[in-house]
Amino acid sequence: MRTILNYKMKLSQVRDNGLYKVLKMNEREKSITRLMDMGLLPGESIRIRHEAPLGDPISIEFRDSHVSLRLKDAEQLEVESIHD
Amino acid sequence: MQNSLRWNRFMTNNVKKIPTIALIGNPNTGKTSLFNALTGEKQRVGNYSGVTVEKKSGLWKLDKATPVTVIDLPGTYSLSAQTIDERIAVDVLSGNVSGAKPDLIIVVVDAENLQRNLYLASQASELNLPMIVALNCWDVAERKGIQIDSKLLEKRLGIPVIPTIANQSKGIQDLAQATKVALQSNPMMVRPKWPEPVQNAIESIKTTFPQLSNGEIQRLLFDNSSALIERLDGDSAKNIQYIQESKDSIHKGGYHPNAVESLIRFRFLKPLLSDIIARQSTLKKAIHTESIDQLLLHKFWGLVIFIGMMYLVFQSVYSWSGPFMDLIESAFSHLQTIASNQLVETPMLQSLIVDGVLGGVGAFIIFLPQILVLFFFISLLEETGYMARAAFLMDKLFQWCGLNGKSFVPLLSSYACAIPGILATRTINDRKTRIITIMVAPLMSCSARLPVYILMIGVFVEPSYGPAVAGITLFFMHFVGLLFAAPIAYLLNKCIQINRAQMPFVMELPRYRIPNFRSMFARIYESGYAFVTQAGTFIFCITIVIWALFYFPRPESILEAFQKEAETESYSESVYHSKLDSLYLENSYGGLIGKKLQPIFDQAGYDWKVTVAVVASFPAREVIIATLGILYSLGGEIDETSNDLRTALKNTKWDSGPRTGQSVFNLPVALSVMVFFALCMQCGATVAIINQELNWIWALSCFVGLSVLAWLAAIATYQVGLIFL
Repeated sequence: MRTILNYKMKLSQVRDNGLYKVLKMNEREKSITRLMDMGLLPGESIRIRHEAPLGDPISIEFRDSHVSLRLKDAEQLEVESIHD
Repeated sequence: MQNSLRWNRFMTNNVKKIPTIALIGNPNTGKTSLFNALTGEKQRVGNYSGVTVEKKSGLWKLDKATPVTVIDLPGTYSLSAQTIDERIAVDVLSGNVSGAKPDLIIVVVDAENLQRNLYLASQASELNLPMIVALNCWDVAERKGIQIDSKLLEKRLGIPVIPTIANQSKGIQDLAQATKVALQSNPMMVRPKWPEPVQNAIESIKTTFPQLSNGEIQRLLFDNSSALIERLDGDSAKNIQYIQESKDSIHKGGYHPNAVESLIRFRFLKPLLSDIIARQSTLKKAIHTESIDQLLLHKFWGLVIFIGMMYLVFQSVYSWSGPFMDLIESAFSHLQTIASNQLVETPMLQSLIVDGVLGGVGAFIIFLPQILVLFFFISLLEETGYMARAAFLMDKLFQWCGLNGKSFVPLLSSYACAIPGILATRTINDRKTRIITIMVAPLMSCSARLPVYILMIGVFVEPSYGPAVAGITLFFMHFVGLLFAAPIAYLLNKCIQINRAQMPFVMELPRYRIPNFRSMFARIYESGYAFVTQAGTFIFCITIVIWALFYFPRPESILEAFQKEAETESYSESVYHSKLDSLYLENSYGGLIGKKLQPIFDQAGYDWKVTVAVVASFPAREVIIATLGILYSLGGEIDETSNDLRTALKNTKWDSGPRTGQSVFNLPVALSVMVFFALCMQCGATVAIINQELNWIWALSCFVGLSVLAWLAAIATYQVGLIFL
């Protein structure tokens, strides 16, 4: 039996450093429109680079940007894992 | 006819009015470096009226005969007016600040992050302003194997693209040349085509407000809280509703008004940038920054290095500026001695010059070493890119009370001294977070409180309880303020409504770079200059006022009565003078106020002498020691380790009231005094700096609030102390 690999999850639930694809963004949140201003849009790929020592915030990389994001804001992003 | 019109316009543009150029760009693009390179020393720094956003402008000579004014706008990712910086940018670009729109925009673009940077350019282009792109950090990009075809980019965007290396002042000549040409030819950047629902909404608003440019209408439609909506003619409630209806129409057309702009613009920019950037695959992709981050953001080692760095920053303010402060102090006391000797014939003038004027100037000059040293480190941390990492590491600690990681360095610095600490809050972009950080910064136990702790602990704790308890008490006193700061920050966060909610904490972690010493120097100079000219004046005035309060009225009758007493007692000269000074102080306006206030502090266990000392130490906490010295006729030249003062404190008895005959000072009183000084804002300089950085309302509320807090806590400490000790 194989588990389904490409399932949807919130960015805040991601625990690894792999590449993910952004599926949905809650554009009602200011933090999300800020990310959109910086060029993170649905369809972009995204990767978690670091987690702060206290577990929150996380730092994410997309395009050529490296940005710190709190977990409560990361909840507003839906992603799925990208497998080559 | 046509010719004369053109001539007129030429005259008005070139003779009467110097063209204005606005510099915009993302944060961390080297925009400020470019501004410094363009304008050199000819800068003016001020604030936009009503807000504490720095307004920088300077003169740039395109050639010998063509000066232009350059305005450095705050670094922003977007014009969407979420932050106060963005609102300012929109206001300046649409001419709502100076009454006229700028004549040209120079967009500073980071060559390594072209698409994101051009997003801002694309937004600004809609405001119908001619534009030039300064493609900055060209060298860094090239070193990483990124090659940008700037000629092709120029063609695609329709505006000049000038490669620059701002921190080496390279490309400035080309930029000047291009600017000169552009001021005549008005190049406009290509714009995206909007989907029908958006286009319709724009057209419809345009018929209602024909004076608005497309860009301004877009700001009204796409921004959650547009700065421009208040600038529209007519009833504002109606306008808001009208704009909301237009937004709804976009929504019905299938686009979310908050998201449509970034979707369309980035989709528009993508093909424009294809084939422009060539990455050499032969170069290793492992970027420096990424490997440095592996260490500096490491869950364990990152924290260790962070603590080391912060120790360095703290030591710099706490200890390393010490020798410079001693130097200033001894220079001033030297000056005071000279002045004192010169003016011995005119005692009032002597006291005014020595204690008032020289004391007042010394009172703010003394902070300069700490400010300059701290800003050296802060600008170093910011220039290298580490500051954002520090905020990232610490953010979690601050989230719950509405602050963020950027509050860490200012609050830590405040443990050495609140003055540089509060200045350091300039690194916090969000206004609300900055206000809260400033308001709790005075609660961090600064080094000026130490003499009070040492005196009280040395007399009342150590002799009876031993050095271990003394150490614990000292440690605890440094903690008391923090204990109150956390809930106060939480409450302020709930209560303050600054016309908009807090910015989300989405912070770029910029790539590391070698600091530019010119920018660092500019930063350090600015902070020192602002402090001396703004807060310095204020501190000087406070010192003079307090001096006058404790000098006057000095009636002859006191001297006469004392001379009679002195005849019978045969005092030595020094005793004579200290006793007389003590009498003068007791009967000065300040002394009388202190006596009048004593009942307020009665429940905290203070007699009138302590109360007078508390009042007299408003300009600076450590003044309490000298004031007590004078009041106990020991002269003002003593310090907290003086045995005479310690003995005097131990032996003081209540001379009136229900407690007559009992010792004034015991452990509960000592603790109560320490708690009072741990929490109060007995520091004129802090009031002055809050006034400088925010406004007098915040300064006054902070002073009143903390005074009441300190008073209540002092009473509580004394009363509880009476029960248990």
